[in-house]
Amino acid sequence: MTESSCAEHRRRLATSRWSTLPPEARAEVERHLQGCEECRAFAKAERELDAALGRLPRQAAPEALKARLAATLRAEAAPPSVSSRWAKWRDGRKLRLVSATAAVVLAGALSVVFALRPSATERLVDEAVNDHLRVLYATHPIEIESGGIHQVKPWFEGRLDFAPVLDFAGDEEFPLQGGSIGYLLDRKAAVFVFKRRLHVVTLFVFRAEGLPWPYLGNRTLDGVSARLEQSRGFNALLFRQRDLGYALVSDADANSLERLGHKIMAGH
Amino acid sequence: MVSRLAAPQGYLSSKPESWYAKRVSERPSQASAFAARVLEQADALYNFARRLTHQASEAEDLVQDTFARAIQARDQFQEGTNLRAWLFRILRNAQLDALRRAQRSPLAKLADEEREAEDDSREFLRGDFEIDRLRRVVVADIENALASLSAEARSVILLDLEGFSELEIASIMSCAAGTVKSRLARARTTLRAKLAEYGK
Repeated sequence: MTESSCAEHRRRLATSRWSTLPPEARAEVERHLQGCEECRAFAKAERELDAALGRLPRQAAPEALKARLAATLRAEAAPPSVSSRWAKWRDGRKLRLVSATAAVVLAGALSVVFALRPSATERLVDEAVNDHLRVLYATHPIEIESGGIHQVKPWFEGRLDFAPVLDFAGDEEFPLQGGSIGYLLDRKAAVFVFKRRLHVVTLFVFRAEGLPWPYLGNRTLDGVSARLEQSRGFNALLFRQRDLGYALVSDADANSLERLGHKIMAGH
Repeated sequence: MVSRLAAPQGYLSSKPESWYAKRVSERPSQASAFAARVLEQADALYNFARRLTHQASEAEDLVQDTFARAIQARDQFQEGTNLRAWLFRILRNAQLDALRRAQRSPLAKLADEEREAEDDSREFLRGDFEIDRLRRVVVADIENALASLSAEARSVILLDLEGFSELEIASIMSCAAGTVKSRLARARTTLRAKLAEYGK
């Protein structure tokens, strides 16, 4: 029994698709196994590994994700478009007409895609602005006064079903005022209140899973996909890191909000 | 607008004006059929993405990115070929791009991870001792062991588990079929060694 033939037989054995291999390939390996104890042990372990891997549950895509995917695909499918057949036209006299039509059709398709986009985004932004207004008009907007981030973050322990990740402790431009618990849509949120001169800036940190998160048309800030929106005179910056969503809302200017967003992202 | 469009000479010899109208009526149903077939793969793609990334949100982003890319590259898909393998390949490329965006060369990262995998495979356990431990591992052990593998090792095991052939895996991972075989054998050996540790 040569080492190289053992190695080749083991490569054939090392697959979850062993039972689907052609009968002649399996027969050849099985003949080898009859005379090779080590490869028999290898084969037994491989089939045991198949059994273990077979116990893994399959994870279905969340319904919210499927709905977003379907909406995107529907938008693509809806308008008439140009096909690869147009390649045959390229050298023809109709090129300009075709290009112009393509542009119109593409613009139509994009308008459908982008028309779908705001519903999810607007919902998030509206909710974040509403919650920001609650912070502004609440009698006690801050439940824990800031003596620094190391006092504010532990305060959330036991009050939320997740740990809000925030490493930016505030600075001279954006001093941290304190924190409280809020709600964003159907879930609890950690609320951090910063100041920018006379403007209040509210940061909501919440579990992002299952939320219709804006995707198309986002910008990249510090390698993070982010979205800057305006609603009712407020600016909102939305971004997501790992399982957590972040919404910054303020009537401060958009540049200030982006600077704070940058500081929060850089802290991660 | 539609009625003014004429087909190119020689492309459709008769009733050129009807070509675009015909295309308009055909295209949505063809596109819808393609969209429906792509959507059918959402669960399989998400399952793969979830095991690749460990995070639900990252998996969602990856699948969404995959769909966006699939739409853009739709004309590159050849009818009659394997749509599922095509989508998995797009997902894998999207993941490599995500690694690239994380500001480290994915190839360097993958090479490092492969070296780690090779080192691990030296601790290969044999015999009934290993079988006994493999029988005792629970789902969480398997998930943790898979998560501890390199992205390449995890990918090749999961794609094999999805039922893709060596050629299909080679196409998805952009490597030679022979490489798939040895990579898969090495990855599974490493996984078994790790699982045997969990089953102690």
